[in-house]
Amino acid sequence: MNLLGELALWIALPVALLGAVLGFVAGRHQRGDLQLGAERSVYAVFGLTILASAGIISNFLNDRFEYLYTASYSNRELLTWYKVAGLWSGQRGSLLFWLLFLMLFASICVWTNQRKNREFMPYVVGVLCTIASFFLIVLLFADVNPYERLGFTPANGQGLNPQLQSYWMTIHPPMLYLGFTSFTVPFAFAIAALVSGRLDLRWINVTRRWILLSWFFLAIGIILGMRWAYEELGWGGYWFWDPVENASLLPWLSATAFLHSIQIQESRGMLKVWNMFLVILTFLLTIFATFLTRSGLIESVHSFAQELKIAYIFLAFLFAIAGTGVVLVLWRLPKLKSENQIESFLSRESAFLFNNLLLLSVLFAVLWGTLFPLISEGLTGEKISVGPPFFNRVNIPIGLILLTLTGIGPVIAWRRASKQNIKKNFTVPVGVGLAVAGGLFAIGVRHGFALATFGISSFVMTVIVIEFFKGTRARARIENENWAVALTHLIARNRRRWGGYIVHSGVVIFFAGIAGSSFDVNIRQTLAPGESAMIPSPLGHEYKLTYEGMSTTSATASNSNDNLAFQLVALLRVEKNGKVLRNLTTEKRGYIAQNQPTTEVGIRSSFLEDLYVILSDVPDIRRAIMNEPDAQTATFTFMVNPLVGWIWYGGMIVAIGGLIGLWPSGAGALVRAPAVASARISKPVPVGAADC
Amino acid sequence: MPKNGRFLVGLVGVAAVVTYLIWTGVSQTMQYYMTPSELVAKVSVDPSFHEVGVKVGGRIVSGSYRKGGGLHGFTVEDPEQLSVTFPVEYRGDLPDTFSDRPEMIVDAVLEGRFRADGVFDATTVLTKCGSRYEASPEALRAG
Repeated sequence: MNLLGELALWIALPVALLGAVLGFVAGRHQRGDLQLGAERSVYAVFGLTILASAGIISNFLNDRFEYLYTASYSNRELLTWYKVAGLWSGQRGSLLFWLLFLMLFASICVWTNQRKNREFMPYVVGVLCTIASFFLIVLLFADVNPYERLGFTPANGQGLNPQLQSYWMTIHPPMLYLGFTSFTVPFAFAIAALVSGRLDLRWINVTRRWILLSWFFLAIGIILGMRWAYEELGWGGYWFWDPVENASLLPWLSATAFLHSIQIQESRGMLKVWNMFLVILTFLLTIFATFLTRSGLIESVHSFAQELKIAYIFLAFLFAIAGTGVVLVLWRLPKLKSENQIESFLSRESAFLFNNLLLLSVLFAVLWGTLFPLISEGLTGEKISVGPPFFNRVNIPIGLILLTLTGIGPVIAWRRASKQNIKKNFTVPVGVGLAVAGGLFAIGVRHGFALATFGISSFVMTVIVIEFFKGTRARARIENENWAVALTHLIARNRRRWGGYIVHSGVVIFFAGIAGSSFDVNIRQTLAPGESAMIPSPLGHEYKLTYEGMSTTSATASNSNDNLAFQLVALLRVEKNGKVLRNLTTEKRGYIAQNQPTTEVGIRSSFLEDLYVILSDVPDIRRAIMNEPDAQTATFTFMVNPLVGWIWYGGMIVAIGGLIGLWPSGAGALVRAPAVASARISKPVPVGAADC
Repeated sequence: MPKNGRFLVGLVGVAAVVTYLIWTGVSQTMQYYMTPSELVAKVSVDPSFHEVGVKVGGRIVSGSYRKGGGLHGFTVEDPEQLSVTFPVEYRGDLPDTFSDRPEMIVDAVLEGRFRADGVFDATTVLTKCGSRYEASPEALRAG
């Protein structure tokens, strides 16, 4: 299996290169036979990549520590599931994993376009194979081959970092990678449109769902990463503005901008160059994110040894894509003329344009802050870094304006909003927003940004609820349906619009959750068994946490196959205003083949706040494990995190809204699809129709 | 057209506000990010630098960790110039990946001040995430 996998990687490169050449030649000379060959290369590379990935997984499952990659991220005791996840636990494997997803999407793209979009497909395949070739070159020639041998066989592997032995960590990277790689398809179509000169709405209509898919996976990946940080890193936060986190946020921001700005091109024929710019930028950022995550270019808590070779290869690739994109857009500039002009400041176009501008401002600020150590070193010779305060300072005000636009954009009229339009749509929501902010001020909330966030969130939420109410009422009357049926049909009939509103409502809840963190409580206290700590909640009640004592398990007693060497569990009795709640535990754990103990936090979640307990320090951990009575004193960090749950609820609602937008058209769509597809070939469907 | 003019003012306004936010954001939160050797060289030239908050990336010296009076103490060295070392004091919680064991190579990013008595007073200690920590062949042979 392992030899086959290694060989597959070497065969895949020439096949991918061949596919790229065949694709471009087939497009240039209208050769169907060559195109067939190019499309078969895509399937072949996909198959070979599956073999290569299966080989890596089998190396992990069979403890083949003669391979550097396996030895670095696994050991005999590792749970089977984490061995499978070994494919994406480290840099080498995850580059292969990236390629695997890319080829999966490339194959789906080729498969679903066998009978449509034929004028685009040769170039699409050409682009996809070029990108696949790039990743194969990196894997084979940039010292990151996951099949590299050590030349000897260690007795056991290093084991997987305990912080990565978490449910979240096994699904968070795949989600991000799905997001990164699926964006390659829209990018390939954009390039195909530029090369072939077919620059009408076709390429956008074809790729809209791909863009949404990519956006959807990125959103889920980012949220899962936050969740992992919150549970696993044990400092009560969920976002650190770390370069690696920022890297995943950047393409999501530009994809969000793109999802909005294509609507202007669809309805008004404007912003064509801008949309090309955004699709190329987003693709560049997905590559950049992969590169930043996996190269350690910028010192970060995530980064590892500097590997310059891979950095130069990635940089060259980024510049090549950017250069090609710019040249193609300049060449096709005459065909990318805008059909209309913005007529009024108070219009939906204008709201969308500002949305784009602000999203890109956030993107620019995040990119600037992330790269600042490099920029300053290049300019002044001194490395200067900016931390979380920079990002919060810049992004919170912009984020609040963006949030406001979320309420304005969907209901303001296209072209030019009349006074009546504005008055009719905004009087009630603005009233509600002001009332909420005023009410919170009256009960003593004085935090400016939090007040603004809650006020604006209520405004946007009211706008969305009124829209749903109006739409449902109208449908209930006209179709004579009951309200629940009317609401379902309303959403089903225009899933793109209503799915979008649901995403917006999730974003609002998400923002409110973040604003809640302004009221965090954080108390650090050393307790002996029997002692208590009083923790006031910002919501007015008080928690009393009593440290009951420590229980220990050592390797001999515990189930030895789960890699645990010892477990030190502190038990805390929780009372809220005198009422006894369920006990909380927080632990220190030691793993076999890992030297440092890890901390497991205890979390009690409720709708309005989380009680979060960290076993910060056990002064004499060795004697504590031995159950010595005088070694039981421990230091805890107690936190109350208001509204933190809303971040996850908001994330889930965003995901649901995204799924509604992605869902195929109605039941039985799959059966009808071929008929629709063939109809499209003979007679192009008019664009702008409410199909998504 | 006046309407487009108004629009342009809006665009320029947004750009100006964003530039202002970034500019003040950088100038108020920026921190020198140095190697231990750079820091030691800088304070010897400019003693007032003892008062400036800095960020330092260094390597934890094996076996240097001590604990006492609620204070973590350890020594960091410059991986590229091993003669440069200084002691660090820290009051917070050390990250799980912190270790001073000889078989581990742990790099840490410290934030704080390099006091005049030659001790680095750290306010945060971040260690490099082990996920990207790839073992060296030598370590694998030993282990």
